[in-house]
Amino acid sequence: MIALLKRVGASVLVLGVVLVLNFFLFRIMPGDPLTSIVDPRFSPEAKAQLAAQWGLDRPMSEQFAVYIREMLSFRFGLSMMTGAPVWDELKTRVPNTVALLLPALILSTALGLSLGVKAALARGSIVERVVLLSGAVSFSFPSFFVQLILLLCFGYVWQVFPLRGTTSIPPPEGPLAILDYVWHIAMPLFSLVIMGFGGLALYIRNLMVKSLGEDYVLMARARGLPHGRVVWNHAFRSILPPVLTIFLLSLPGVVSGAVITETVFSLNGAGRFLLEATNSHDYPAAGAAFFLLALLTVVCNLLADLCYVIVDPRVRREGSRG
Amino acid sequence: MRRNLSAILLLVLLLLALLGPGAFGLNDGAQAPPFSKPSWLDGAIASTIVLDAMANGNSNSATAPLAWEHSAPIRVSVSGRLESGEIRWATPSGDFMLANTPGEVDLDARDIPFKRSLGISPFDSAPNILFPTRGEYALSLTGTGEVTMRIEGGRWGLLGTDHRGRDIAALFVRGIRVSLIVGIAATFIATLLGLSFGLLSGYAGGLTDALIMRAVDVLLSIPTLPILMVVTGIWGKGLWNLVVILSVFSWMGTARTVRAMTLSLRDAPWVEGLRALGARRNYILFRHLVPEALPLLLANVALGVPGAILSEAGLAFLGLSDPRVPSWGRMLHEAHTFGAFTNGAWWMILPPGLGICLICLIFMDIGRKLEERADPRLAQAARSGALKEAEV
Repeated sequence: MIALLKRVGASVLVLGVVLVLNFFLFRIMPGDPLTSIVDPRFSPEAKAQLAAQWGLDRPMSEQFAVYIREMLSFRFGLSMMTGAPVWDELKTRVPNTVALLLPALILSTALGLSLGVKAALARGSIVERVVLLSGAVSFSFPSFFVQLILLLCFGYVWQVFPLRGTTSIPPPEGPLAILDYVWHIAMPLFSLVIMGFGGLALYIRNLMVKSLGEDYVLMARARGLPHGRVVWNHAFRSILPPVLTIFLLSLPGVVSGAVITETVFSLNGAGRFLLEATNSHDYPAAGAAFFLLALLTVVCNLLADLCYVIVDPRVRREGSRG
Repeated sequence: MRRNLSAILLLVLLLLALLGPGAFGLNDGAQAPPFSKPSWLDGAIASTIVLDAMANGNSNSATAPLAWEHSAPIRVSVSGRLESGEIRWATPSGDFMLANTPGEVDLDARDIPFKRSLGISPFDSAPNILFPTRGEYALSLTGTGEVTMRIEGGRWGLLGTDHRGRDIAALFVRGIRVSLIVGIAATFIATLLGLSFGLLSGYAGGLTDALIMRAVDVLLSIPTLPILMVVTGIWGKGLWNLVVILSVFSWMGTARTVRAMTLSLRDAPWVEGLRALGARRNYILFRHLVPEALPLLLANVALGVPGAILSEAGLAFLGLSDPRVPSWGRMLHEAHTFGAFTNGAWWMILPPGLGICLICLIFMDIGRKLEERADPRLAQAARSGALKEAEV
């Protein structure tokens, strides 16, 4: 229980840092946040009115209080470009990001796990070579390059998948709409999975090779336990904590990858929203998108952390990560 | 040879980066029609073809024949002077009258009046009409005057051209610089930061240690790319801004490694001995602990470079880099934004992308070798094959 509370506390701390960073990044920076929307020809009164509209004329402490309230209530204030509440725009986009990220995370983890274990069991086989290669690729190939190649092959040359967007124009009706969505999201998802599983598979393979050589595995075999039980309950079980650690460390990268993926495939997600907002200097919108992406990471992080408590008995007992 | 392949490749890249595209007679201004294919590809004419037809008082007509063996060219223009008569363009499937009023002739296939005079819509491609098939063509002049037809093919240079007609090969060579500068400088600064924070954290212990390690944990669990996007969006997209930002957000791993190392060395008997001899803290840190950590740090730098290069390329791909400085990420950004896909221009995508992969693989290989040298146990493990990539 203490361990659990500690994890939650750490997540809250991360969110707090993100909130503070988010606030000060936009306010301590050189230049007035209003410069992007204010024309130099505007009269001082018009400028003051605009400043009042976004609350930029209040003292810093009051601005901070308002900002925290807006962030925690998920309203995020008004967009500087449209003047509309940021959340109205964002709420249609966040589901797209989640629909891309969650399946990608689950599929690449499953693939990485099974291939990594298989590679460790069958040294020198094709599976192992695939794992070694995909590991190297995932560390040295830019994901957007791989995605551009996929787009060029499947979108332009063979025209199997659409070049951009999440729905056809005009959008189809009824059950076809879901199929259409899946068809649009298939290639981005596929690219995220093939770029994502390599690192994990390589890591698991290395740990498993070591773990399979341990005495307790030999002992389990000597006791005549079935092969599957030796592999999964004895060898694999013991490497779970470090695997979870590497999984945790890779989560922020996955979210970063989603931003790029959304841009390559022109998906209307939170990442692309962040890019558009940054490009048009729409600070409240950019701040909100950044906060949501960070929140997504922290929530995934927390979930994985909870698994950590379940997986590692030492943590359960002592409440520390050893 | 094979052992030092990556070092040799790195030297080649360094040389290319130092010399720049100018040394090879490559120019990164606009060179040829946009989206020209590499010149070694088939299917289009390699370079510009010029057809001349001149008729003066002696002969009342002139013809310039052309045997055409390619798909339609990208640009066609006709210029000259017509005193009387008319200019015609004969194709295997029919004749076109190009001009019949005396005066200066200046036609370009991109001009809308010219397209209208050919009887096609302004949105159609005039070269496709003027060059429908393979076969015998002729530019003929009846009357007096002189006329020149320029046919610009769809092939140019070693790697073709981009959407602005710039030479991809020149841009590619120019882009090496950015990747190398950003990759090495950012990792170097990040390693320095990591070294100092790691030493401080490991040697001071207590509250300082707790604070620094908490900061590391927090920074490690915030997605970096969104922060980088926000910061470059606000601070500006300059190259050195990028270096500073990248290094501020990538020192955490090194700090952890150095801290662990310092912790294990702090209470080692020989360090205790030094302390007993009256050695000051700074002396122990900088004369003994840092040299101890240096080989591993060097390997860390090399292994960190791919990450920095990939981050830079990612930001540039999102359009968050200086538009005046060609870099590989920027080239991919432009390919993605300015219609490499609608033109099937794979030559705009492959060279910069493969360049990034190559430079990352080189640094990873060098890093791994340095690491093996710093920690011979790793090399032994690699040789015996038991633990080949354990430290990735």
